[in-house]
Amino acid sequence: MTTTVTIHIDGVPYAVPDGMNLVDAARIYAGVEIPIFCYHPKMKPVGMCRMCLVDLGFEVRDRATGELALNPDGTPQVRWGRKLETGCTTTVRAGMYVRTRTEQVQEARRDVLEFLLSSHPLDCPVCDKGGECPLQNLTMRHGPGTSRMAYDDKLHLDKHVPLGDLIYLDRERCIQCARCVRFQDEVVGDDVLAFHERGRRLQIITTSTPGFDTYFSGNTTDICPVGALTTADFRFGARPWELTNVPSISPHGPVGENIALSMRLDRDSGGVQVIKRVIPRQNEDVNEIWISDKTRFGHHFTLSPDRLREALARKRGELTPVALDDALKAAAKALKEAGNSVGFIGGPMTSNEDFFALRELAAHVGSRKLGLWPATLGDAAPAAEVGIASGSRLTELGKGDAVLVVASDLEEEAPIWFLQAKQAADRGAALIVANLRETKLDRYASRTVRYGLGGAVGFLDGAASDETLAQAANLVVFVGNEGLGADEHGVLLRAAANLLITTGHAGRRNNGLIPVWPGANTQGGFDLGFESAATRAMLQSAPDVLIVVGADVAETPAGAAALDAAKFVIALSLFPDATTAKADVVLPIQSFAERDGTFTNAMRRVQRFYTAQGPVGESLPAWQVIGLLGQRLGMDRPRRSAALVMKALAESVKLYAGMSYPALAEAAVQTPPIGISPGFYGGTAAAPTGGTGLQWPSKAESRAKLSVTPVEAPQAVHAGAGELVIVPLRRLYDRAPEFFASAVMHGRIPQPFVALHPSDAARLGAVDGGRVKLSAGGASLDVTAVVDATAPEGLALLPQRLAPGAFPQEPVAGRVEPVAEAVAAD
Amino acid sequence: MNVIRGFATTLKYLFQQPATIQYPDEERPPRERYKGRHALKRYDNGLEKCIGCSLCAAACPADAIWVEAAENTDEERYSPGERYAKTYEINMLRCIFCGYCEDACPTEAIVLEHEHRLSFTNRRDAIYTKAELLDPPPAGLEGTPRQTEPGVYTRSIPEMKNPA
Amino acid sequence: MAEHILLRDLDVPDIKAFDVYVQHGGYEALRKAVGMTPAAVIDVVKASNLRGRGGAGFPTGVKWSFIPQSEPVKYVVVNADESEPGTFKDRQILEGNPHQLIEGAMIAAYAIQATAVYIYLRGEFWDIAANLDACIEDARKEGLIGPDVLGSGWSCEMYTHLGAGAYICGEESALLNSLQGLLGQPRVRPPFPAQKGGGLYYEATVVNNVETLTNVPWIITHGAEEYKKIGTPESPGPKIYCLSGHVAKPGNYELPLGITFRELIFEHAGGIPDGKQLKAILPSGASGPVLPATDAVLDTPLTYEAVAQIGSTLGSASIILMDETVNVAWAASKMMKFFAHESCGKCTPCREGTYWLRRRYEALLDGRAQARDIAILDDVASQMTGVTLCALGEFAVNPVRATIKHFRADYEAWIKQEAAEDKKAAKPAPAREKAAAR
Repeated sequence: MTTTVTIHIDGVPYAVPDGMNLVDAARIYAGVEIPIFCYHPKMKPVGMCRMCLVDLGFEVRDRATGELALNPDGTPQVRWGRKLETGCTTTVRAGMYVRTRTEQVQEARRDVLEFLLSSHPLDCPVCDKGGECPLQNLTMRHGPGTSRMAYDDKLHLDKHVPLGDLIYLDRERCIQCARCVRFQDEVVGDDVLAFHERGRRLQIITTSTPGFDTYFSGNTTDICPVGALTTADFRFGARPWELTNVPSISPHGPVGENIALSMRLDRDSGGVQVIKRVIPRQNEDVNEIWISDKTRFGHHFTLSPDRLREALARKRGELTPVALDDALKAAAKALKEAGNSVGFIGGPMTSNEDFFALRELAAHVGSRKLGLWPATLGDAAPAAEVGIASGSRLTELGKGDAVLVVASDLEEEAPIWFLQAKQAADRGAALIVANLRETKLDRYASRTVRYGLGGAVGFLDGAASDETLAQAANLVVFVGNEGLGADEHGVLLRAAANLLITTGHAGRRNNGLIPVWPGANTQGGFDLGFESAATRAMLQSAPDVLIVVGADVAETPAGAAALDAAKFVIALSLFPDATTAKADVVLPIQSFAERDGTFTNAMRRVQRFYTAQGPVGESLPAWQVIGLLGQRLGMDRPRRSAALVMKALAESVKLYAGMSYPALAEAAVQTPPIGISPGFYGGTAAAPTGGTGLQWPSKAESRAKLSVTPVEAPQAVHAGAGELVIVPLRRLYDRAPEFFASAVMHGRIPQPFVALHPSDAARLGAVDGGRVKLSAGGASLDVTAVVDATAPEGLALLPQRLAPGAFPQEPVAGRVEPVAEAVAAD
Repeated sequence: MNVIRGFATTLKYLFQQPATIQYPDEERPPRERYKGRHALKRYDNGLEKCIGCSLCAAACPADAIWVEAAENTDEERYSPGERYAKTYEINMLRCIFCGYCEDACPTEAIVLEHEHRLSFTNRRDAIYTKAELLDPPPAGLEGTPRQTEPGVYTRSIPEMKNPA
Repeated sequence: MAEHILLRDLDVPDIKAFDVYVQHGGYEALRKAVGMTPAAVIDVVKASNLRGRGGAGFPTGVKWSFIPQSEPVKYVVVNADESEPGTFKDRQILEGNPHQLIEGAMIAAYAIQATAVYIYLRGEFWDIAANLDACIEDARKEGLIGPDVLGSGWSCEMYTHLGAGAYICGEESALLNSLQGLLGQPRVRPPFPAQKGGGLYYEATVVNNVETLTNVPWIITHGAEEYKKIGTPESPGPKIYCLSGHVAKPGNYELPLGITFRELIFEHAGGIPDGKQLKAILPSGASGPVLPATDAVLDTPLTYEAVAQIGSTLGSASIILMDETVNVAWAASKMMKFFAHESCGKCTPCREGTYWLRRRYEALLDGRAQARDIAILDDVASQMTGVTLCALGEFAVNPVRATIKHFRADYEAWIKQEAAEDKKAAKPAPAREKAAAR
């Protein structure tokens, strides 16, 4: 680790790590707040705003003897600088003296604030940042009481400039700190924002077409130290002091981004608490302070008018609204008749409590059919063995380390990991990206590996002999399932485990396997004994009764067939969908915002989310619905709260031992403190109130003996004559109801399409932008063809959940045929 | 003796003007600074002064004011600038007529006027909505929302001029 | 001076041609330098005490010695972004004597073992750039530039690059950004350009002015001792003085450092025309503090130290003279307009301060200013002092503070005139018309 040096701040000695940024060191170690605007601890200092000016000096040493020169009174002599220095561009070193409260420093701060305010509009009453604005706060603390700027001299600029369809810029409010520009450039690596012009005309522009449209654009509004950047979603939504921030966890994707839901009463929604905005909640172990736009804007489904509000039961073949009791009665009757021929399938947003309730019910009826949706995943045993060690931080990876990404498009599947992998590469880590097609992460990769269909296992099996990986100080392996069948995915995960064991990386901090699961709680499902393989078995031979929780099983032809084959289907769902349409009893459940619960992210961190808003209609938490069903089958009545469910869970599941709600609510200290807390850096990220979660240790960490299991790649899918292999892809922005309910995002969701290689397209007669019909496994989809030179030959890349209709979710051989366009009417 | 003095006083007042007036038949004009029911004011051009900033609600010690804002467009403009009050409600049962809202208002939109005859038969009626609070537009002028020229009303706070 | 060292085109008519330059001893210095060790070349330049002619006057040899020899990639960048108002010395070198600059740049490149030389020219020098490209091509044909220079085994390329018209790009780190295709804004230092991470493409880089490098061949040929005989011990060598403004014979004068203002203006440049009195001197374009034309100032020798002692800077020695007809406050407003236009906007005090000052000067000239505005101008300028990111912000306050200090009466004339205007509405602005008529 770094050495510690002693520096003096305002006359008091502090021990701080050598080479640390002075602003950070003063905040973290001395509790001295050097005011800043442009500096942000997640980005390189630029020294632009000049707010952090301090008086800097060094102790004087005799050149010959190296001894400290002393004043007559015995104190060390200090040579102070000729002029003030910016704290943010200064790194601490031994013998440094800093004065932050001298008249000169205070005057400099006053002067800089007077300058910043000289052309700043008096918008505070209408500004979304007003109330949590660093410029307001620092003006109150350090600013001049009055300005000598004449009103006539004020500069007036455009106040309503859409940078994209989500982010609006107010040019007058901008203080040219470049935080947004630097965020896009340094953190995201997509420099679509830039400065234009110079001097007082210096202004932010977007250089992309269409405008500012990265997956991370919302973060710029968080770090903006004024109200210059606002989101289309929250503009004028509420004043900050009216909002109550409720800690929560993103229900989208495997990262488990820590968020806070800013709640406020809303007249239009009938005077109930609604989510006004989603802001990141600092957790350096998970998402730092960044969230994807899907997490930020994809919360509208919680209050969607399409939500299921009442129980439905099939009467004379029609689903009809019934009282919850009647629905439960019908369901219980079917369950009693089925005996132990009952199957359970849990979806991606199903919480640990829900899974546990299902498990208890399964035990009660004597069924072991615990299935996880989607049905296309391998098993989680390799991840449990050599999963990334607890306490690991992707932010610590750098020079000498290696990050391997296999069969995953991280930007689409787990945007935050995309950022972190990209930044690890920036810090000097070797980033190797292996996939059957080009992905955006390739741009930052030190090496890209392209394999053919079915080649992933072969590549990973041979990777142990790769010097970069074998000799890396730390090795993190991301494994997805893009272009893989379920069996192949399982084998690939095992191959990744073999690699980590062979190279000796398994079990060490900042090392291990990260499976890129599809859902927010896929890991939790595995932990509680639910298997994707069990789902596949149920699809093969359906049990008499199928209980489906938050999973659109009918989105695949096999799933739809199984729902038809089962005698009775009980669907617990947020939305009416193809699955509930085939169900016999439909029970409304609550979303993550309406209830307490826990999700386990793919790094095995169990994290709590809290009740933020009232229930929609008659919906109940899934665990409670399941408990009520169990009660009718003779079980105890459901537990009174999610906390008690978790308590029982922690007692019965060894991995989760000790993970009670109070334990999960404990917040680890975040350094540097970026969430809103004393001495933070400005911006709207919440402090880690509500808990930073607990990670269960992988088997490798307990010094268990690990052995390599030889792997063999299963047979790859082969396309017959005139066929292509249709490879489903996961896309961040899809048309699943959990995301499509956010109307603000509709402009970003593409029309259903399939990407074809030019030679395939030519052979099939498909033109770019023309319609094609995909048919495979008895299902067909009508989509737009996109001719894309980066698509591998022989494959048709099909983003999932864009087109309505069931379609296989594994690579499958199928036909792609152009559809004759109807002649335009005009 | 004392009895006579007492009767004399009574007798004296018998022929004086009574201090009591016959409210509601008769009304005394309120004082200039009397704080009665609130009114939401308009500019001379008829646009609403209120910009939905919610500072009145923040200042209100009785938590009587509820404001929700929305964005103006040139097609549907309520107030100058980008923001206007979509919802503006004052619960007169809670209001203590302290006038803090008036002090807090950056555009002098809310003023405690002289209306003091507030009566309601249920709690819901005690909540005055924006439609009830807002002054009518000046005679002959169109109310709000209205269509305006783009680029004219860009500022929420009236532009200030240098003191001479 | 008998013979020019820098402006040799005045002595030899066609020295810009490669053959003529070689006939007159051209590229001998490069040959000599390549025969020496790089360290020895640096030692000679160090010994000559050649100081940077771009404005800061930093010893060139010392600058070269900062370059870490271990780095595999190093660059020399020639700052030919001559944009200081009143400066036109580099232009004459580039037009009249380009090969001497190329030779000097190659010697510098050899001294630090650079892999490439970039000549950054201001955008308006497009014709010069075209000519320079031809000159570089001539030299390359002779093996003076390119792979294995003069058989030494050392290879170095040379390129020209045109800026896009920004004063700030004369600041070395902004120049490097611009050269890299980034926004022309200065960088935070450290790291300095001479360090890895601070220079061009973040490699160690020497940035020198055109005139500085043009001195180098003569130093190598004649030796440091000969060179030090010119000028003063602290500021040795010849200097090109650019004279403009109210002077009988404006133009470039190559004279040793250490002559006085009086000698330069009255002996060499023919004094002030029309028998007018000299009022003010800007010794280094718009960015140096103005000096009143007192006897003490006129007798000050033109060296970096002496000019600094009287409260100004020698800078690039672009001397602008103003006679008694000029209202200095008006002149300051012109300079402020220039700085407000050219501030890059990166740091707050310069971006906001220059804008604010410009607006106040506009008010002053429009007759809207009040007496307190002089104090505001001075305050705002002092608020900018010592807190800006680069030197532009520091320079931008000079026109304000020095003119208020020395010529307060000129400011008051504008303010009083406003009062006077109420009575006699038609009184013309005191000095503006006359100055404009020149």
